[in-house]
Amino acid sequence: MSPVVRLLVKRLSISIIVLIGVSMLIFTIARVIPGDPARIALGPNATVEQVDQLREKLHLNEPIWVQYGYFIRDFSRGDLGISLYTNRPVTTDIAQFLPATLELVIVAGVFMIGFGIPLGIASARYRGKTADNVIRVISLLGVSAPSFVWAVILMLLFAFFLPLFPIAGQISDTLTVPPRITGFLLVDTLLAGDIPAFLSAVHHIILPAFALALSGIGQAARLTRSNMVETYDKPYIEMAQSYGFPARRIANRYAFRPSLIPSLTIIGLDFAAMLGNAFLVEAVYAWPGLSRYGVQVILRKDLNAIVGTVLVISATFLIVNIIVDLLIAYINPRIRLAERGRP
Amino acid sequence: MNRIAKTAAAALFSVSTLALVPAAPALAETVLRLDEVAVGELDPGKASDYADSILMFNVYDTLVLPAQGAPGLVPHLAESWSADGNSHTFKLRQDVKFQSGNPLTADDVVFSLDRMQALGQGLSYLFTNVEKAEAVDDHTVTFVLKEPYAPFVASMLRLPIVDKKLVMENLGEGEGEMKDWGQAFLSANGAGTGAYTVTSHNPQQETVMAKNADYFLGVPGAAPDTVRLRYGLEPATVRTLISQGEHDISSQWLPPEVLKALAQDGAQLLTESGSGAFYVKMNTTKPPLDDPQCRLALAKAFDYAAAIKMIAVTDDVSQGSPATGAIPVGMLGANPPSAELVRDLDGAKQHLNSCRYAAGDQNIEISWIAEVPLEERFALLMQANFAELGIKSEIKKMPWALFAEQVSKAENTPHISQIFNNAVTGDPDTLLYGMYDSKAPGTWQSPEHLKDAEVDRLLEEGRTNTDEAARAKAYHALNNRLMEIAPTIYGYDRQSVFAASNRVKVPAMSDPSKAFGLDGMGFSFRLMEMQDKN
Repeated sequence: MSPVVRLLVKRLSISIIVLIGVSMLIFTIARVIPGDPARIALGPNATVEQVDQLREKLHLNEPIWVQYGYFIRDFSRGDLGISLYTNRPVTTDIAQFLPATLELVIVAGVFMIGFGIPLGIASARYRGKTADNVIRVISLLGVSAPSFVWAVILMLLFAFFLPLFPIAGQISDTLTVPPRITGFLLVDTLLAGDIPAFLSAVHHIILPAFALALSGIGQAARLTRSNMVETYDKPYIEMAQSYGFPARRIANRYAFRPSLIPSLTIIGLDFAAMLGNAFLVEAVYAWPGLSRYGVQVILRKDLNAIVGTVLVISATFLIVNIIVDLLIAYINPRIRLAERGRP
Repeated sequence: MNRIAKTAAAALFSVSTLALVPAAPALAETVLRLDEVAVGELDPGKASDYADSILMFNVYDTLVLPAQGAPGLVPHLAESWSADGNSHTFKLRQDVKFQSGNPLTADDVVFSLDRMQALGQGLSYLFTNVEKAEAVDDHTVTFVLKEPYAPFVASMLRLPIVDKKLVMENLGEGEGEMKDWGQAFLSANGAGTGAYTVTSHNPQQETVMAKNADYFLGVPGAAPDTVRLRYGLEPATVRTLISQGEHDISSQWLPPEVLKALAQDGAQLLTESGSGAFYVKMNTTKPPLDDPQCRLALAKAFDYAAAIKMIAVTDDVSQGSPATGAIPVGMLGANPPSAELVRDLDGAKQHLNSCRYAAGDQNIEISWIAEVPLEERFALLMQANFAELGIKSEIKKMPWALFAEQVSKAENTPHISQIFNNAVTGDPDTLLYGMYDSKAPGTWQSPEHLKDAEVDRLLEEGRTNTDEAARAKAYHALNNRLMEIAPTIYGYDRQSVFAASNRVKVPAMSDPSKAFGLDGMGFSFRLMEMQDKN
């Protein structure tokens, strides 16, 4: 078995154990939040008999381990139950809302890498100069304010005062949404060959994705800079400089790659964390995503939907981490060698 | 660095050109865009919230409608109705078709009631007193009640009529002959006779509706061709959208300062009132509030004028008007607007002197619902008001779910709770019975846990006497009795305020002579007028 495959198997095994633990934890926590889910679902005017009937139907009068048993039985059949919030199967809700969040997070991730790393490289390369100072201030601003603050600021700047961007939904009201194939609107519009719809979808995603990415951009830039500055002090860089190699070549070829490994780990974590952090950005931009759904179901104590949403977000988090681990293993030969059993 | 600068410039250029791409070719149709809190429940058997009511009143029809600008009911799907003891018979119009093309029959009315009772959700509690409904012929239906219920015809406002044939063709998985009663189908599709058909529905995001060309009353040309009801928009987003001309009517849940800002930007303010109020509920089982004199002291110490100022949007428009008692002005049994409640600190002190508890010994708990930030301001106002009487208090924030659970038992209910309540049919019975009848279980409506024989008698008189004048007399007497024993501080009569662009005219929410006096009914899209074409 190759070292990378061995690493993958190991990570997947750990992930399954983590998911089982998360399911037990969230299953229990959801049931100790104050409030009767049946009463909340049926509304304030429901009679006591109606509430009791629904409690019976949801097995809420059974001990918690019995309830967990029902959950595992249904889960093994791909059934996460009915959401008491939307009155639809939880799997239907997740299938509907997850792609919108993933699309937002992926575009934000692209922004994070596309802007953050080049800014970090430039900052390190021009260390101590004006460009470095400007980038450091921008990075600090990005890191110091949470995403929802940026969401509101960007909305005010680029939608209210300077109406350049739309701020609600994924696509213009006046366009027809293409048939759902992948659920990713950017992809579906392209598959349908509907260029105006694609451009509208791009136009709609820029502000929320940028708001979500700003903190990560600052983080990536600062981390890349500090790692590269450290690398620049290494003897082999001094040697390259003394040989008269061009500054760009030294930055991109000799300083950047070793500096990328610690940055990549943090970027991967940031990327996964955006899944959870997206809810306020989704709320501000009326983005029909899973994070906003997750918050609503928690507020309404929608037990099935809470467990389903948390499991999906956890699974996505774990998958992203596995991908990052594999990427690092690919970049860093020492990890590959360690997996092979050599020091 | 030059390369980076060039790349950045290119990106900015691309973005700005995207902004110049027209969103779509101009269409010769009018689109109305509005928002409400999520979720939009499309199944009329489960509808209870404001968003659900908007959907229900446009996709479905009811046998009767509230009269505009006046109390009472007018025929709608029913041509006429009559009562004989506990039986109520409705004659249906013969020219009505469902959106599917199926004709409306008495069987559909019977099915709609059976379905509502079987699901037991939403506003089905209004029909627990109905023993059965029977189709006398294709266009006559009789409801038989278990016991007399005077406002029964008003409760028909909350029985949307569903297309039985269409639902039966689309039953989902479930037990018994009726399987799921069409829940899966009706949570995603319309099956009514209404003026608007559902084009698409996502309960968390948006419902899109289009004019029903075959509506039995016809839909005027000026009414919006398409309606997009969005869910869960943030106040900042709504404000920006309206300023961009991309949104037409806000929800009523915007903070007063955002409504004010929108009005200053040129938006019109629409209002809907007459069926609800803000109530400060006192737990009548806990000392010192188990003594009516103490309760009267608090009621008289409350600064009603300050409360009205706190909810003012502009000099002319407010989210409430002065209360005159337990029943909102305009409803059966209400006092006239001139009898508005005012603060009387001297009177409060006199009542406190008659109270068997010493003011300084008392520490009362004032709760507010965490999801309604406005209530925190009222809690602070009460704390200051009561302090002037020497009564100490502590403020407690409670999530709605916890509050709803705690009020089921008197001993767990805070001294003071704040709620907004309204009459779902416009009749005082649906407002007061759940709040004050001693047989009603402890719910969010009844944190007073009141047990008063005279109140019970008058409530019973109001719901069983079919003579309208006698009912009015009973509710007047009830209003006075409630003022005497003060289980509640009647904060203000609620008025819903909506900010709207000037592209739309909504007579039912801007002209009192066209108002319905029933929450959500003002959003009858067929009665709106769009001012331009998109």
